[in-house]
Amino acid sequence: MRHGKNRFIVSFLGIPILLYLIFVLIPYAGAMVMSLTRWSGVTTLDKVQWRGLANFERLLSDDKFWNALSHNIIILIFQPIIIIALALLFAALFTQGLRGARFFRIVFFFPQVMSVAVVAILWSFVFHPTMGILNGVLRAILSPFGVRWPAFPWLGDINTVLPAVIIVAIWQAVGFYMVLFISGMQSIPDEFYEAARIDGANGWTQFWRLTLPLIWESIRTGVVFLAIGAMDMFTYVTVLTNGSGGPSRAADVLSTYMYDQAFGGGNNTNPFGYGTAIGVVLLFLILGLSILSLRLTRREVAEY
Amino acid sequence: MYGKRKLTRRGFVKASVLTSGTLFLAACAGGGGAAPAQPKAGEQPGAATEAPPAIEMPFPMDDAARNPLNIGTDPIDGVFFSGGFGHDYIVYAAQLVEAVHPGVKVSVKPIQKVAEELRPRLVEGNPPDVIDNSGAGQFNTTDLVNEGQLMELDELMEAPSWDTPGMKVKDTLFPGSQDNLKYDGKQMGINVAYTVSAIWYSKPAFEKAGYTYPKTWAEMLDLCEQIKKEGKQAPWTYQGKYPYYMWGIVLNQLMYKAAGNDALIALDNLEPNAWKNPDVLRAVQDMYALWDKGYIMEGTAGLNHTEAQAEWLNGKAVFLPCGTWLENEMKAQTPAGFDMTAAGVPGYTDGKGSIDAVAADGGEPFVVFAKGKNPRGGMEFLRAQISRAAAKFFAEKVSSIMPVKDVTGMQATEGVKSAIAVVDNAKGAIIKFNLPGWYSSFGKEIEQRTGELLTGVIKPEEFVDLMQKKADEIAADPEIKKFKRES
Repeated sequence: MRHGKNRFIVSFLGIPILLYLIFVLIPYAGAMVMSLTRWSGVTTLDKVQWRGLANFERLLSDDKFWNALSHNIIILIFQPIIIIALALLFAALFTQGLRGARFFRIVFFFPQVMSVAVVAILWSFVFHPTMGILNGVLRAILSPFGVRWPAFPWLGDINTVLPAVIIVAIWQAVGFYMVLFISGMQSIPDEFYEAARIDGANGWTQFWRLTLPLIWESIRTGVVFLAIGAMDMFTYVTVLTNGSGGPSRAADVLSTYMYDQAFGGGNNTNPFGYGTAIGVVLLFLILGLSILSLRLTRREVAEY
Repeated sequence: MYGKRKLTRRGFVKASVLTSGTLFLAACAGGGGAAPAQPKAGEQPGAATEAPPAIEMPFPMDDAARNPLNIGTDPIDGVFFSGGFGHDYIVYAAQLVEAVHPGVKVSVKPIQKVAEELRPRLVEGNPPDVIDNSGAGQFNTTDLVNEGQLMELDELMEAPSWDTPGMKVKDTLFPGSQDNLKYDGKQMGINVAYTVSAIWYSKPAFEKAGYTYPKTWAEMLDLCEQIKKEGKQAPWTYQGKYPYYMWGIVLNQLMYKAAGNDALIALDNLEPNAWKNPDVLRAVQDMYALWDKGYIMEGTAGLNHTEAQAEWLNGKAVFLPCGTWLENEMKAQTPAGFDMTAAGVPGYTDGKGSIDAVAADGGEPFVVFAKGKNPRGGMEFLRAQISRAAAKFFAEKVSSIMPVKDVTGMQATEGVKSAIAVVDNAKGAIIKFNLPGWYSSFGKEIEQRTGELLTGVIKPEEFVDLMQKKADEIAADPEIKKFKRES
């Protein structure tokens, strides 16, 4: 019966939508309103003052905002493409039916199982100037040649801190997309590959012309998620730079700058109004980026 | 068939609910120990109506000092930062209050991120009575003052002290120790700790190596050269990720000793070209020399405070800048016989400021919320917290100093004694550098630029230019409330 079916559906959707409304949509709306105000954050809400678009004007001339945005853009350019390329490489390698492939698939997925904060702490030890593995290995490799590798502070140097953060994010993400692509690849029937081989296609052509187009939807998912992730990066930057955004803010990103403005005590005049203004800008950037990614990666999918 | 007992779905659900229920209850019972401590001074639970056993107070309390603030029996709600000093000394003060005021319950809740945890209470209009506003996540006190959230404590300052008969609270405290919490002349908080900023080293190891502590900075650089040549230890290290330890402990004192108090007043007052003072530049160059001549331990810039301090305790570097919280913070990791000792920052024989001056200030600010349920109770708690009894406890159990006079009969460590000696030696020449504290955007700037200076990214001349630029920026911003000092 049609009535019964609709009621059934609505009754199941009711609670999740209510939760979404209360915990996501209403706070979004609240934040947008707050971005038009001035509030110190240490009073009851009746002390909030209206400012209109003044916070956004201030953003335009704020060096630290542009600095953070530029880092997000750098991450956006390099991170997703490297992650997807590596994930495709490993997925292709580990679906060849080689012995031990299953072991590597499990091991490469491990970083996803760990929480982001744990991964970041782990890597802050790897990058540690005196106790870290990275410097230890470099020292061991270079000492037979008479070169003394110094206790280089990877996370304390303005040139290396952002690449270090990017490497950590890549390390954690590759496993997930590898598994995603593997499941996509495994659903491609073998006959296609046989047919391709009969037609004289080599390994590379098979990959480029057959595999890639057929798992395009998975790749597309990856692109969108990774683009959004590149605009976040909060946990990685906060843990690896101890909340400071790096030496001279060399690894500061929009999310950490926003947090710093609201909770960092760095600006006496308007922590919450200005912080939410940054948040609102970030929201629209991410929305725009997601729509753009989806548009640019659209193509007709072969039905099979 | 599997036999009479089959694992039915119903049976499985029942079993899992029972198991998880039991585990949950067990976790509650076990985890209950981590809940807020309720100090009872030896009371049995449920005996709330009995008078608590008298706590032994090492100093006398006369009748006028029993209840000058006239508090009733309402409970006192306290939430306190618990960090390098722990919170045993706060529990002790709560016990003092409960012993002297039967029927009053003081709740002591230790936390780490003060602003994060208490902000919701402020927004609802239901703050606690008294808090320790310290640690990395503290509230910006200036914001709290500007929004009228804090109770003025002048009544407390004028009240009879807890256990120094015949003296008012304000007269029992080290002069100047409460100044940084005075806003427009009103006392808006109490600094419970007195922090001496000094250079620390291991006296036994130092003497064994045959070194003498330098009196002037030039001698310090010579000693560093000697230590560097011997190659066994680095001369200096500092808490790399937090350059505060260098500008707030070394640079400020060098600037005072080179340029004099008037120059620092000019800096604090945001005067134009105050940073262009050649003596200020001299101090910056002298601190920069530590980097320039290679006296800083390798990899220092990447270390956080506990890591750098641990390296110093392991003998990797001789000198470390720090405050008197150091001893308690690193208690668990200090090797036996290390005997950490504090010494003043070496100055200049031809400097405009006293060579023996010291940067010492009240720290660990406790404030009372005006909109709490029992702010007067909060004030009474503070009166107990800055008593001589609490100060003796602090020195003996926490190895640090409260700004309370005449705390006789202490069994204290070398670290505490040497820090007190540095203060005594200064003969009242106390160094103040308020600028970074008054304007947090300046604080962030000097933090960033000091880090750059000490890793060779910028030079001293650039450093002072950037400081001047920031100061000018703040001076020109009408939104930022300005502070001034005359002396």
